[in-house]
Amino acid sequence: MYDDDIIAAIATGYAVAAIGIVRVSGRGSLEILEKIFTKKPPYEHRKIHYGHITDSNGEVIDEVLVSVFKAPNSYTGEDSFEISCHGGLSVLNFVLERVFEAGARMAQPGEFTKRAFLNGKIDLSQAEAVEKIISSKSKRALFIAQRQLAGKFSSRIEQIREKILFLMAENEVIIDHPEEDLSFVETKEKVNMLVDIKKQLKSILKSSQYGDMIFEGVVLAIIGKPNVGKSSLLNILTGTSRSIVTDIPGTTRDVVSETFNIKGIPCTILDTAGIRETNDVIENIGVQRSKKALKEADIVIAMFDASNGLDERDVRIINYAVKYSNKVVGVVNKTDIKKAKFRLPFDKVVEVSCKNEAGIDKLEDTIADLVINLENDSDIVSLNANQKDSLKKGINICDKLIEDFQRGVDPALIGVDFISLADSLDDIVGKISNEDMLDTMFKKFCIGK
Amino acid sequence: MIYPKRYDVIVIGGGHAGCEAALISARLGVKTLMLTIFLDSIGAMSCNPAIGGLAKGHLVKEVDVFGGEMARNIDETGLQFKILNKSKGPAVWSSRAQADMTAYKLRMKYVLEHQENLDIKQETVDEIVAENGKVIGVKTHLGNEYLCDSIVVTTGTFMKGKIFIGLNEYRAGRAWEPPSEKLSDSLRALGLRVSRLKTGTTPRLDARTIDFDALIVQPGDDEPVPFSFKTTKFNRPNMPCYLAYTNETTHKIILQNLDQSPLYSGMVESVGPRYCPSIEDKVVKFFEKKQHQIFLEPQDENSSEIYADGLHTSLGYEVQLKFLRSMKGLEKVEIMRPGYAIEYDFVDPTQLKHTLEVKNVRGLFLAGQINGTSGYEEAASQGIIAGINAAFYIQKKEPFIVNRNEAYTGVLIDDLVTKGTKEPYRMFTSRAEYRLILREDNTHLRLAKKAFDAGLMSKEQYLLIDEQKKKIEETIKKLKTTYVFPNDRVNKKLLELGSEIIKTKTDLAKLMRRTEFNYDKLRELAVGLEDIEPFIKQEVEIDLKYEGYLNLQKQQIEKFKKYEDMRIPEGFDYNLVGGLSNEVKGKLMEIRPTSIGQAGRIPGVTPAAVAILVVHLKKVNDKRIRNTA
Ligand SMILES: Cc1cc2nc3c(=O)[nH]c(=O)nc-3n(C[C@H](O)[C@H](O)[C@H](O)COP(=O)(O)OP(=O)(O)OC[C@H]3O[C@@H](n4cnc5c(N)ncnc54)[C@H](O)[C@@H]3O)c2cc1C
Ligand SMILES: Nc1nc2c(ncn2[C@@H]2O[C@H](COP(=O)(O)OP(=O)(O)OP(=O)(O)O)[C@@H](O)[C@H]2O)c(=O)[nH]1
Ligand SMILES: [Mg+2]
Repeated sequence: MYDDDIIAAIATGYAVAAIGIVRVSGRGSLEILEKIFTKKPPYEHRKIHYGHITDSNGEVIDEVLVSVFKAPNSYTGEDSFEISCHGGLSVLNFVLERVFEAGARMAQPGEFTKRAFLNGKIDLSQAEAVEKIISSKSKRALFIAQRQLAGKFSSRIEQIREKILFLMAENEVIIDHPEEDLSFVETKEKVNMLVDIKKQLKSILKSSQYGDMIFEGVVLAIIGKPNVGKSSLLNILTGTSRSIVTDIPGTTRDVVSETFNIKGIPCTILDTAGIRETNDVIENIGVQRSKKALKEADIVIAMFDASNGLDERDVRIINYAVKYSNKVVGVVNKTDIKKAKFRLPFDKVVEVSCKNEAGIDKLEDTIADLVINLENDSDIVSLNANQKDSLKKGINICDKLIEDFQRGVDPALIGVDFISLADSLDDIVGKISNEDMLDTMFKKFCIGK
Repeated sequence: MIYPKRYDVIVIGGGHAGCEAALISARLGVKTLMLTIFLDSIGAMSCNPAIGGLAKGHLVKEVDVFGGEMARNIDETGLQFKILNKSKGPAVWSSRAQADMTAYKLRMKYVLEHQENLDIKQETVDEIVAENGKVIGVKTHLGNEYLCDSIVVTTGTFMKGKIFIGLNEYRAGRAWEPPSEKLSDSLRALGLRVSRLKTGTTPRLDARTIDFDALIVQPGDDEPVPFSFKTTKFNRPNMPCYLAYTNETTHKIILQNLDQSPLYSGMVESVGPRYCPSIEDKVVKFFEKKQHQIFLEPQDENSSEIYADGLHTSLGYEVQLKFLRSMKGLEKVEIMRPGYAIEYDFVDPTQLKHTLEVKNVRGLFLAGQINGTSGYEEAASQGIIAGINAAFYIQKKEPFIVNRNEAYTGVLIDDLVTKGTKEPYRMFTSRAEYRLILREDNTHLRLAKKAFDAGLMSKEQYLLIDEQKKKIEETIKKLKTTYVFPNDRVNKKLLELGSEIIKTKTDLAKLMRRTEFNYDKLRELAVGLEDIEPFIKQEVEIDLKYEGYLNLQKQQIEKFKKYEDMRIPEGFDYNLVGGLSNEVKGKLMEIRPTSIGQAGRIPGVTPAAVAILVVHLKKVNDKRIRNTA
């Protein structure tokens, strides 16, 4: 059943961005594209096509770029395309409606991923991870996952794959065709290629750290001296009254945690006991826990009261924040009473009033910015623990191969290391089959005694 | 007439597959008949006069251990022997010999004729007769009907064979031998998918018209090594080959006459081997190459015919002569037989089991080029497996299956029956995942037990090999437990031997792992180490020097076996498995894999589908266990 119909969804739902993406997948989806798009086929695989989406009367809905991915080399493994539209949600919705009109149906949550799994594009553990997050926390994770495998990331992967294939094929030619007079790439060049592969793998590993935040969620901790409004802020951000708010300093005694979304990024926010020296045993335990929460948080919101000036306790908070975190947002609260007369030593400072719910949007933008820099959104990848492991293994094997080549090791043994390299990168670069290798071999080398 | 004598196994064809199939079947004690189109070409080499080569040498030696004849035959008729890749690691050493083609086929015929239980007749089979999904006999062009219980078909390039030279077309099975026009229709009628492939061969030149002084001499090894582990007396000549080169004029002539090539004019549309391209293809696809190597090889000790390796062509006769004469040393050359391309029917091998039996017709086995392969060695190794299984089928014994982790033969057959092939399939070492373990040098060591258990090897042979194995193990153990100490004598000797000194007590195995060390050097260092036969030395050295890598491959094999051991019951209904796409289901139902491992190797069967299958089979099994408990 699943391979019969065509699904579509807005893939950039909550992001504030200049463009939005509508994603469509399923056998026959390119026929839908033909119906709604001014540019007519051929639609080349992995190419971007420029044109207009029109309604059934031929009126232009939007000027767009469409990326086409053909089966089986798409995220889902099916024919699919992505329409990058201009402007806001309404345009996106018009485009989506038009896609439905032409024969697609709304994708269920996680359905792209489910198809990717059923078509063998991702393994079970990946699919599970993606699904879990999508269903529980955020849609943004799905968009990243889709882009990661279908967009810019795949061309990056393709490059790595081709380099590995070339090196493997050459090694095999050296073994299987010893009597051919072929010219081979010099050792130095091979080593350079390996160094480059290694560099790329490392950079993927690094981009995956951003992916982690999006998939696994971001942990925010609010710190501040008692009574600055920490619990009030939590309640506003989460839209609950989870944390008790009173005017008695020291109300919150333990860490309160709550989960919510900022622009599709799943966040867990920790409200902490106000950090102060105290003799109250229970509160003291709370303070210790606050310090721990501070260390675990991805982002620290350090909160101050505008209506009072900074005192030494605030200075201690500032020091804590800077010491334990490299992502700090300073928040000055109670600006409804009085404008702040002090300047905080953080890169990002937002003035708010929890009472009037003012400045909260700005605070959310600021937090989102710290998580993802929208400009290199497409570089962000999400990898599971196994994949990260494989990447690290791959990086190590690159080192070994570099050494192999420099020492002039027997090509049969180099062959084994290449297989390990390809194996370890299976998930990431895609399976390198013997056929791929032979293809490359016959394409690049004139063989035939 | 219905022939009065009844046979157990009938082998159709007397090529490399047919010879091995017929011999082993008869050797296993079942009544065997070989029917072939032309008796004088039993064991004939259609193409290059050589046996072995990269990865093919492995196959020859495996056939030898399984009781085949190819290795013994070349050991008796080779003109030069060479171990390729000697400068590289032992895993990729490969033996090759130039053959005296005439002597080779005559000896093969002689062996067949002296084999008990084997009759040989010159007749063309037109039809395979089957009843209730089982073979019962064959009908020949003479109108004879032979009854039997099992058939091995090894028709090579003969079924509806069509030869092309330039724009001329002839019906032939090979050179000018008659083709087999009817048999593939009979196979189709049995429900088999048949399609076309093509291959080509080179012109044969007259040695008297070649200026050998202008060419580069290529002799064989000074100390030739035989193929067969059974060969004891070995004394063969070392006849040289010669190396010539094409040049830009040659290429120009070829390019100017492409319209004369049936491959380029569209007359031939079937696919040929990429690793064995025609000279036309080489010149077109690798335009930037200024010259190509041509190996001139003797075909026969007593004949003038020279085989021009590297010049497969289907260009017209005139063009062939013209481009040949543009080459240095060949200015006055005379062609004795022209090169040609041949197109023929083959059977999609995914319709076969690992025994090479057709899935839907009991008792019908296919082997050799008919299965989409190319090469004598590929044919022979399939021939022997099909022959063994045909005999075992008669004798109601367990099928004889060779796995990918055991031998190149296993890789070859598993590839064919699991993946099929779009071009003539040739063996490469890179196809064998466990190539460090599946070496040529240890072929008899790794396969002796399997061969002996199946009754393919005599007890004496087996014991001899077993003794070698024990000797190797003992020696390794000894080296691992014999130590040298960092004293003056030892360190002085180490430096003398071009090695580095030691600082702590060191076992000999560890020293052996140093690149510069070998067993003889160890003997100089440690007193009391006995001299052993060279083969044992070599194996000990390989085992120790590659220990880390070998262990890695052994682990990989264990992992591989885990999935091979997850059996899929025969007749398993994939419709019962939820979550498989129709495409994947279709593939699984077509190939009918016997194990999860094999299922995963089918192109298009995704890892996700395999995961779903594993889960399903586990559930089914658990239920069965619960029900029987
Ligand atoms: C032109 C040409 C070029 C080649 N080039 C290469 C190459 O470059 N490299 C390479 O490795 N290999 C090459 N080969 C392939 C190699 O010769 C074969 O792979 C190998 O000989 C196949 O062995 P076989 O036993 O399957 O078939 P063959 O050796 O072809 O033997 C087939 C046998 O079956 C018999 N036969 C066929 N039909 C019937 C019938 N109906 N009834 C009775 N008997 C029948 C024939 O008489 C013949 O004895 C080439 C072959 C040809 C013909
Ligand atoms: N005027 C004004 N009052 C605020 C604002 N934010 C919070 N308050 C008040 O400040 C008091 C303390 O707020 P809480 O949110 O409990 O402060 P807290 O930082 O969690 O305090 P502890 O848990 O005691 O550390 C409450 O009476 C709030 O109503 C604001 O923006 N303006
Ligand atoms: Mg509080």
